[in-house]
Amino acid sequence: MNSSTGRKPTPRGLFGRIADHRLDYLYILPAIGVMLLVIAYPIYYTFYLSFFRTPPSLAMSDKVFNGIGNYITILTSESFHEVTINTVVWTVWSTFFATALGLGAALVLNRQFAGRGVLRGLLLIPYVISAVAASYIWRWIYHSDFGVLGAILNRLGIIDGKLNLLDNVNLVLPSLIVVNVWKEFPFAMIMILAGLQTVPDQLLKAARVDGAGAFHRFLHVTLPHLKGVMVITVLLLFVANLNHFTIPWIMTGGGPAGASDIWITQIYQIAFGRIRFGLASAYSVILFAVMVVIGYFYVRALTGNDDVRRRG
Amino acid sequence: MSRRSYNAGWSLTGWVFLILLLIFAVAPMLWMLITSFKSQFAALKYPPEFIPSNPNLEQYERLLSPKNEVGRQFLRYMANSIWVSTATTILGVAVAVPAAYAFARFRFPGRQALFFSVLFRNMFPAVVFLMPLFIMMRWMGLVNTYSSLIITYLTFGLPLSIWLLKGFYDNIPIELEQAARIDGCTRFQAFYLIVMPLSAPGIIATAIYSFITAWNEYVYALTFLNDDQKLTLPVGLQRFFTEYATNWPGLMAASFIMSVPVVVMFLILQKYFVRALTEGAVKA
Amino acid sequence: MFALISARKGRTLGGVGALLVSSAMLVAGPVSAQGSDTGVDPETWTPEYVRSIAGQTEPNTAEECSQVVPLDYSGSVDYWYVGPNEASPELEHKMYDDFWAAWEETYPNIEVNAQNLGYNDMLNKLRTAALGNAAPGVARLPILWGSEFAAKGQLSELSPEDVGYKTENFWPGAMKSVTQNNKVWGIPTNNETMAFIWNAGIFEEAGLDPEKAPDTWAEVVEYSKQINEKTGKAGYGLVARVNAGNTPFRFMPMAWGEGGGALDEASDSPSYQEVWVNNDGTRRAVQNYYDMYVRDKSVPVSALTNTQTENQDPFLANQLAMVIAHPSEYATMLDRANKATGDDKAAAMQVVDNMRYGMIPRGEDRRAVVFGGSNVHIFNPDNVDGDLDMEAAKALVCFMTGPEWSTKLAWVSSNPGNTRGFETVWMKERLDTIKFLDVSTSMLPSGIPFPPVAESPEIMNIIIPEMLQNALTEKMTVEEAAADAEKKVNALLNGM
Repeated sequence: MNSSTGRKPTPRGLFGRIADHRLDYLYILPAIGVMLLVIAYPIYYTFYLSFFRTPPSLAMSDKVFNGIGNYITILTSESFHEVTINTVVWTVWSTFFATALGLGAALVLNRQFAGRGVLRGLLLIPYVISAVAASYIWRWIYHSDFGVLGAILNRLGIIDGKLNLLDNVNLVLPSLIVVNVWKEFPFAMIMILAGLQTVPDQLLKAARVDGAGAFHRFLHVTLPHLKGVMVITVLLLFVANLNHFTIPWIMTGGGPAGASDIWITQIYQIAFGRIRFGLASAYSVILFAVMVVIGYFYVRALTGNDDVRRRG
Repeated sequence: MSRRSYNAGWSLTGWVFLILLLIFAVAPMLWMLITSFKSQFAALKYPPEFIPSNPNLEQYERLLSPKNEVGRQFLRYMANSIWVSTATTILGVAVAVPAAYAFARFRFPGRQALFFSVLFRNMFPAVVFLMPLFIMMRWMGLVNTYSSLIITYLTFGLPLSIWLLKGFYDNIPIELEQAARIDGCTRFQAFYLIVMPLSAPGIIATAIYSFITAWNEYVYALTFLNDDQKLTLPVGLQRFFTEYATNWPGLMAASFIMSVPVVVMFLILQKYFVRALTEGAVKA
Repeated sequence: MFALISARKGRTLGGVGALLVSSAMLVAGPVSAQGSDTGVDPETWTPEYVRSIAGQTEPNTAEECSQVVPLDYSGSVDYWYVGPNEASPELEHKMYDDFWAAWEETYPNIEVNAQNLGYNDMLNKLRTAALGNAAPGVARLPILWGSEFAAKGQLSELSPEDVGYKTENFWPGAMKSVTQNNKVWGIPTNNETMAFIWNAGIFEEAGLDPEKAPDTWAEVVEYSKQINEKTGKAGYGLVARVNAGNTPFRFMPMAWGEGGGALDEASDSPSYQEVWVNNDGTRRAVQNYYDMYVRDKSVPVSALTNTQTENQDPFLANQLAMVIAHPSEYATMLDRANKATGDDKAAAMQVVDNMRYGMIPRGEDRRAVVFGGSNVHIFNPDNVDGDLDMEAAKALVCFMTGPEWSTKLAWVSSNPGNTRGFETVWMKERLDTIKFLDVSTSMLPSGIPFPPVAESPEIMNIIIPEMLQNALTEKMTVEEAAADAEKKVNALLNGM
């Protein structure tokens, strides 16, 4: 049995300390093992393949070394510019609206009233159902020819004629963002709700005694307490949105005319539609690079939180 | 649970916002349900009937009756999904608990780095790994087996599970364990009798999360499984209704059936989820 | 018909030139100028001719295949195919069940591990599988897909002679689709062309002759407009989704008809090196699409997200007047109408009664249609999961490509790839029971196969649909869209 719970800092070398703690590693071995298995090789392979040209007429074993040619091809292509703008629009607005709606919902739900649990449960439903099902449901609601949304807007006199969302270059991305926000705001809501319950009552009371209005209390008492959880929520959503594949793929396949194409659908399209695994790998590496930057902030946010937790 | 003052006052805006949000969240689900009660033809009326004039359960009968081919197939997909998700959940908890405990309690070298490397998993999009993972699964002879999916799904749930549970273990005073040890418990007994019950909400929450993720996953299931008999629901859903004929009511009914288990589970257990997030992740 | 046939001259194609078409039934206009090489008169292939040769033979498959692989051979093979699914007519399910029963009786010791995969999933799955050396031994693939695997060396050579049949008994157009670098990489199992389908009821409502299909694409545009103006319903079932095989199957006939193409697949002797996607003909076809979708708004708005599948709904709901579809569309519609209940049923039956089949319209240049179907391939042993049992694979291939099963498995939706199937009693039964079969069959000589090059799937499923979407969303003008597509095709052919 090791003695790791009772720490005596022994001034030994790294390997000595590792040896001392060797049994500790057994606890994390399964988790780390399965992670390595599923992640390490694919990362290596993606990097490796990103330096090769793999046209559809060649077998994988005949791939041609291409240096950084794939990266140049991507970065100089016209579509990269367009797809990147779509990706930024998709990720930023999805994250923003999901967080904003989630925050609003959490603030309203963070009081005692009858039916609160039921209400919270109902609001959580979109988060739980599968993205595949959600995509079909919304495709049916949006349907240009038979969709219920078009029918309602027609009846209300807001539009006249067919409602064209998914077949319209200008409206398709906003329409998909709505679906994504629908799916994600409950996650932000539940995270922030959890965060709200940690705001000390005394502080709020004290603020009220001082004559601070509701908005003032929110701004100066509640919000600072929420900062940690908000940062984590935003980062998690940001990463999830950047990687989100199912909704755009099932609903529009990136169309029409590429108007809802984002990085991840492009990567899939290049890899499996156009069978350029080399090019797709280079694209993935670019995506990784962005992820690493976000990951840096993510880890910093988590460690910050960790410190707070330990102090508390 | 903290006690909020009742006289905080319901601002009108709060109510209006809540009602609008509720409509936004629930209306699409309602429309799914309404459509699923229509016949294939009734669904194509435009403008649509908001209340089906001729509601029927035809789609549900077809999907859930083992008497016909469609029903048998659909029930099989459902059984497959249940099996994969359950296995993922149980294994996930079994792997996450000791890891989270070790990250919280032990001070081994490389602890921080390893902890963050686990959390980093979610940074990598599933789609990018499809090809290399397939090749790897093939080396291991796991293509067309549930193991390939279960191993992959494990890694989706682990980061959040480990993070949440570690938060719990951080908050459980070490003295409790030490007291138990003095009373003659082994380390495992101390863990099992003292730590486990205290972290139960966390375990329940991570279990729900793992189950839902596995239940809903689509891209890997599409790639790793070939056998028609082995498909999981999300892939089956797509296979069933979009190839040669769209059947919107059928698709909506299948989506509804598919959502029921996870929604019910989540509704029953949601309070643990909120508690776990509060105590495990965000509590200062 | 006349225009296109007289325009064809004799030609010899790399790889296919060797095949001589001996039987008069193996006609083919643009598909196979071999027809004229061998003195075959393409005009014989009429609905009447198809009827006249049917019902003469009843071949014995077990006997024929026993010449290739002994019936007591013991082995096993994996087989992937796109078979009947939830939406297929009952009859098709039955034929496949019969097929497996007959197979087990004939080769009781060969175990076939068959996977019926969905059309939409199969290509990506097979690519991944072949790459990971987990491909099945045998696969039956839609006509466009094999080229890519052949180009990558992932297939074994396989010609009709390898399983005891004669190349001359298969459609020249189909053989073209399995030939690459002068080698044959598969055997056609079934071939079909699509037909033009319209709803006579809506035609009447719109003041059009209900029994007469539009003869040219220009007329289709006019009809569509008139129908939409008079009835408020959608005229033509245009589809333009990216990544859906449906889109090129409906657009290319128009492009070819107008004198365009993707590469030069529609020319007398295609080199598959020239790019026609930006010529006058293709641009005219894109303009037709533009006129219907943007100018006249006479087609479903959801065309950019739709495949033909989605068009079945409005067609059956009497909301859409004209579509291009498979011979089996009638059976599918009838099946769906039969499943309806109450008032729906009567209405749907009315639509089915009003269904009419006709030839695909002509363009300014000719009448053309995509030569479609499936081919069966044996994978390269290196790419196969485990050891490839070549004998078992050949037995299975022989069994399914013979006159009997190439007819029966194509019962509802296609035609036998082995043209000896046309002489069988089963073909006669099909002609007697399946409505419009003679019409769609008579389109076969106007069929043009997609270019049998590895780049075909990308050109047809991505570049062409993107060109359409660019024009239909007005992101680009018709000219810009065609020029953009040309640029992409050129880059692709240059090995980008």
